[in-house]
Amino acid sequence: MNWTRQYPGWAMFAAMIGLLLFLWGMAVPLAAAPAPIGPAAEQFADGARITVGLTLIAGTAGVLIGVLAGLGKLSSFWPLRWLCDSYVWLIRGTPLLLQILFVWLAFPSIMPEGIELSDFACAAIALSLNIGAYNTECVRAGILAVPHGQVEAARALGLTPLQTFMDVVLPQSMRVALPALANNLASLVKDSSLAYAISVVELTMVGYRVQAESYQPIPVFITIAAIYLILTTAFTTLTAALEAQLDVGQKR
Amino acid sequence: MSSDGTLRTIIETRKVDKRFGTFHALKDVSATFYEGQVTAIVGPSGSGKSTFLRTLNRLETHDSGEIVIDGIVLNDNLKNLDAIRREVGMVFQSFNLFSHLSILRNVALAPMRVRKMSREAAESKALNLLERVGLKNQAAKYPVQLSGGQQQRVAIARALAMDPKVLLFDEPTSALDPEMVNEVLAVMRELAYSGITMLVVTHEMGFAREVADRIIFFDEGVILEDTTPESFFSNPDHDRAKAFLSQVRHGF
Repeated sequence: MNWTRQYPGWAMFAAMIGLLLFLWGMAVPLAAAPAPIGPAAEQFADGARITVGLTLIAGTAGVLIGVLAGLGKLSSFWPLRWLCDSYVWLIRGTPLLLQILFVWLAFPSIMPEGIELSDFACAAIALSLNIGAYNTECVRAGILAVPHGQVEAARALGLTPLQTFMDVVLPQSMRVALPALANNLASLVKDSSLAYAISVVELTMVGYRVQAESYQPIPVFITIAAIYLILTTAFTTLTAALEAQLDVGQKR
Repeated sequence: MSSDGTLRTIIETRKVDKRFGTFHALKDVSATFYEGQVTAIVGPSGSGKSTFLRTLNRLETHDSGEIVIDGIVLNDNLKNLDAIRREVGMVFQSFNLFSHLSILRNVALAPMRVRKMSREAAESKALNLLERVGLKNQAAKYPVQLSGGQQQRVAIARALAMDPKVLLFDEPTSALDPEMVNEVLAVMRELAYSGITMLVVTHEMGFAREVADRIIFFDEGVILEDTTPESFFSNPDHDRAKAFLSQVRHGF
């Protein structure tokens, strides 16, 4: 989209405001719709908020995990490299549904007494670990794309390895990694629907319940699909604007 | 040169040896450099001149021998290395400006991070240095918007921002279009007369002859000649140097 390139700041602002208005305002027009949508308007809005909540928490944690594990994969310390390799191998090689069920059913027996995780927390943990593994590869590719001369220049100026990473390598690698990270985020919006399996009442679960009560799957699922499309549009506008923001000083 | 006419040693290398696999890049190189001196390091490609320069701030580690810079021994001790890198500036063949930062931020970054200057102080210092290299009006641009010659002048300003005692130049004009070489040499000439210690790996024989106090000729990892420009260009001792000079003169 052109205007996200030209006015990235405004586009980010608009996408965020739009998302908030949509999440807390959509029940109003939906309530005016005929049955089976109208009576369930508040449920749809609640479900959408849970979906966005899962996406934001797992998306943020996933980026942090991705940066740490991406760095770990490039470490010269082999146990760390091995650990991060195994993590990515394990997560990418098993179904997300299995990971969600595992966290939900297996964690309570591993966790120390007295700590109890809600269904929502279990879903958030599993989704974070899952997207984190995919992000790891994006971040690693981004770091490898930073020319070595940039690191040499920073080190020659006296910057410490940490300063070199934070001030030079990370911002430049994010420019490369962001389109792929945005892709993963768009997947995450929809993958969060698998949380229904552990009885988290997110958007897809709401749809399933409403159609089961009304026996009218077509209008219900079309509404759910429309809500997902609006959510993913908001998220991709946000990431596209962020991309434009980071794109300064880049050859076109 | 200090006031009483004696030269103060600023860099001393003793039997510095370096191999890349089976390639013997530096063979027991010993040399002493004095404060305020401008040394041109010349020689055929692969002769070890750039490697020698890069060992002086440990962008390459030497295998054996000793390097002492301003009284500090260059070794695995990170404190020593940080101290040396603060005092030794470097200008690269490919400029290596930080592509995600504006020209002003490129110059101001190291004083802020390494010298802990405030942002205002670092940026006003950066503006002064940009004025010195004739690029004050480009401060808000990004590296990619500048010509090669302008980028290299920014790189010189960036190195100067740390107030280094020594400036290392690694073929600073080799990546430039011919019409941009002179603007960079002009800045370097002005620096040379300002009394800063400079080690310049270069193929610009005219510049070496005019500006350098001393010429070092590298061949196959050893210093073959270490003399004044007059005697090097008019009457070199070694046949290899004669052959080299006749080759580079061909280009004129």
